Amino acid sequence: MRQLCEAAVDAAVAAGASYADARVVMRRAQLVATKNGQVEEISDLDSEGIGVRVLVDGAWGFACDRRTTDEGAREAALRATAFAKAAPGGHRRSLALVDARTAEYRTPLERDPFSVSIADKVDLCLRAEEGMKHADVTVRSAFVRAHREHKLFVSSIGSAIEQDIVEAGGGIEAIATSDALFQVRSYPSAHGGSSSQAGWEYVEGLDFVAQAPRVGEQASALLRAEECPPATTTVVLDSDQMMLQIHESIGHPTELDRVYGTEAAYAGTSFLKPDDVDSLRYGSDLMNVTADSTTPGGLGTFAFDDEGVRARREPIVEGGVLRGFLTSRETAARLGQGEGGSMRADGWSRMPLVRMTNLHLEPGDGGSLEELIDGVPDGVYLETNKSWSIDDKRLNFQFGTQIGWEIKGGRLGRMLRDATYTGVTPVFWGELDAVGGAAHWQLKGLTNCGKGQPGQDGHVSHGSSPARFRNVQIGVKA
Amino acid sequence: MSQTALELAQRALAAAEGDQAEVAVQTERSGFARFADSEVHQPTLIENAVVQLRVVRDGRVGSALTNRIEPDALRELARRAAEAADLAPPDPDFPGLAEPEPFPEVSAYDEETAALGAEEQAQLAGRAIEAAAPLAAYGFFTSALSELAVATSTGIAAHQPMTDATTLVIAAGEDVSGYAERSTWKAGAVEPETIGHEAAEKAARTRGAASLEPGRHAAVLEPYALGELLQWFGWDSFSGLGILEERSALCGRIGEQIADPRVTITDDPLDPDGLPKAFDFEGVPKRVVPLIEDGVARGVVWDRTTAARSPNGAASTGHAPPPPARVYGPMPTALSVGAGEASSVDELIELVGDGIYVTRLHYLGIVNPREGVITGMTRDGTFRIRAGRIAEPLVNLRFTVAVPDLLAEVPGLTRARQLVNQSQFYDERYPQGVLCPAIATARFNVTGSGSGPGL
Repeated sequence: MRQLCEAAVDAAVAAGASYADARVVMRRAQLVATKNGQVEEISDLDSEGIGVRVLVDGAWGFACDRRTTDEGAREAALRATAFAKAAPGGHRRSLALVDARTAEYRTPLERDPFSVSIADKVDLCLRAEEGMKHADVTVRSAFVRAHREHKLFVSSIGSAIEQDIVEAGGGIEAIATSDALFQVRSYPSAHGGSSSQAGWEYVEGLDFVAQAPRVGEQASALLRAEECPPATTTVVLDSDQMMLQIHESIGHPTELDRVYGTEAAYAGTSFLKPDDVDSLRYGSDLMNVTADSTTPGGLGTFAFDDEGVRARREPIVEGGVLRGFLTSRETAARLGQGEGGSMRADGWSRMPLVRMTNLHLEPGDGGSLEELIDGVPDGVYLETNKSWSIDDKRLNFQFGTQIGWEIKGGRLGRMLRDATYTGVTPVFWGELDAVGGAAHWQLKGLTNCGKGQPGQDGHVSHGSSPARFRNVQIGVKA
Repeated sequence: MSQTALELAQRALAAAEGDQAEVAVQTERSGFARFADSEVHQPTLIENAVVQLRVVRDGRVGSALTNRIEPDALRELARRAAEAADLAPPDPDFPGLAEPEPFPEVSAYDEETAALGAEEQAQLAGRAIEAAAPLAAYGFFTSALSELAVATSTGIAAHQPMTDATTLVIAAGEDVSGYAERSTWKAGAVEPETIGHEAAEKAARTRGAASLEPGRHAAVLEPYALGELLQWFGWDSFSGLGILEERSALCGRIGEQIADPRVTITDDPLDPDGLPKAFDFEGVPKRVVPLIEDGVARGVVWDRTTAARSPNGAASTGHAPPPPARVYGPMPTALSVGAGEASSVDELIELVGDGIYVTRLHYLGIVNPREGVITGMTRDGTFRIRAGRIAEPLVNLRFTVAVPDLLAEVPGLTRARQLVNQSQFYDERYPQGVLCPAIATARFNVTGSGSGPGL
């Protein structure tokens, strides 16, 4: 495969590329899903191909081919080069300098998730489903996933990097319905569960079977809960909802390609400007955010990104002040700072984009969830995302959660359903007044971060403790 | 057009090991010239073929998927699907594979679109970019030749080549932005300059945007806005799985008046003004499905699995999704909103008198599927309507609407309809869109304000 990549790079350079890189990616993905006591899906996917990216007179070209043959590699290189030569625009793109690297990386794991039998996976899902059974629960579902990506990166500066990345994960969900209501509870997270760059031990650690009764009972109880009333109040968010809050209101706006406008046609831009670093107040003094592509178990962990830049841990927000962006070699060169390190592609058939790696809210000194709630005379505690929407500059957001509880006098009170809250990013983060401690910090991984045209799904992890915000508008209604 | 996709499907079927087998093959040769600040920055040229195999062995079902198509790879695919089936418990609800039926005649292939190469795709993007000047252009031109072939052990041998092309432009500056888009299966039917001009003309009117207090307003929604809103609503509410799992806003309301009598919505995969399809991923013929007729809820779309579970004896309407999306159930992919009587959008603006004008939407989220509640932002061309005319531009507005409520009081719709792209081009290419007019509604609930137009 290394020879194949080298042939593609050589063909591109011979055709006029000043820079070229090639990635051969072999992906395998397995899904086992059950619903209401039956197997819903057992599927096994494999996909392989080569993607070739070239820079010709400052213009990008990218082409890919499913054929991992000399012919496929060379044709992709020539098509990419031909496109770059025809591309409209002034084209003054340049790349931050990086050293040529030869390296190998492999996900540390205890038990390969593909080595676990399908029968055992079905059995786990069905046992978890059994635990969610409840009078009002009309749909019970569970799934586990395994994912392996073996990729080889070769570039015209002489890098040759081979990485073997394995992910495992899953989730369970209960839906309860009545004549007028539809309520859902998920564990360990909504919208695709949670995954980790790890082996089957991660799925075992989630302990679906132990969590299932709570999930089923809460889904049922939500049918009898009162709707979250409109108010402006104190909100405590669990680690899981914090993951969504970090992703949407910190992760995406700090992607430097969005700041420069290159996502304007789809995901949007950013309220941040390139010269905001070290001056823009993003939130309160308690806000410390780190981008870390070395986090053990993170879905954004690697040795080198998809343009050959080494992994790193960097501050994004320190003491509430913006300290940096997520960058590529191209955007770093444009900013005149750094060398990149956040470029990843969805398989072989997509061009690398600036993506979140693992983005965390660092723990604070707020202690446990109970301690965070203890300081609230009047407010709400919200768990697990249900809906999300945010504007194109990542300022105005409205998020919904699966479940909530009233807080009165520092104690949890009645359960609340259909809770929503809304805010404006720097105003909301400015109201951060407590972050839970390190003992309560959790890492979760999501696999559905959409970006780019054609669309790409990114795999990203976030870590956070529960956190508390003052003066938040809740209970938005249609 | 060659029959390579069907030949590949039949080779995979021959290699399959089971009592029954079903193969769906998707091929793609596409080019994507994505641009920002009037330069192409993310070009993507794709060549791919994907083989999706489902086998039934002793009542057990397993699936596998590959993009390796050599004989040994197809044998390996068959082995993996058989292994998945053998390790699964029997599925008593599996309805079996479809039997052959006649397919409707559709036309969705254009030789000239299929022949567009990388240089032409770059040039077409360039024409759209130039037309937006002096504003900077953000968007893309893309075109593709894709094929879907389905072969089954029950005797289905179906093949459809499809072409599609989309031009999308946001013309933008520091404090202005406008949007335009056209999708078609015949690239020559759309001049890229038209899209660039439309976006730039809209953008020029957005300077100096004002804010708006939250509240209920009458509104005119362009086809871009209505099409996206209905697509999101339809994922739950027009789906047979949404009915079975009680997520749909149509639950228990089939036969009831749920919208203004002016509102008629079908899923029409056969309309040549859309992106026509002859059959679905199970090889079932595509059917036109009435969803809302003169405001009365009439039905939803089904695939074989959900239809078999329907208490009312529903049959598949030909809406089985691609195999990797099977867990999400059948989905409408060709929503079609009936035309109204207004001769122009200006006539709708007059009907509204006082309200807001919405060009397009951004980042929708389903807040409550059972009630059809969706939130999102307006973007790239939001205006106040005063005295029956477009007045000052507005900042991007957050809205939170129950779609049945929005459709309950509709003063009018335009006679002219437009195909609005609904492909985000994730995974394998499968063009889809909504064919719809502009609409006037008395009920558009604004719940907040965002940033102004522009970058």
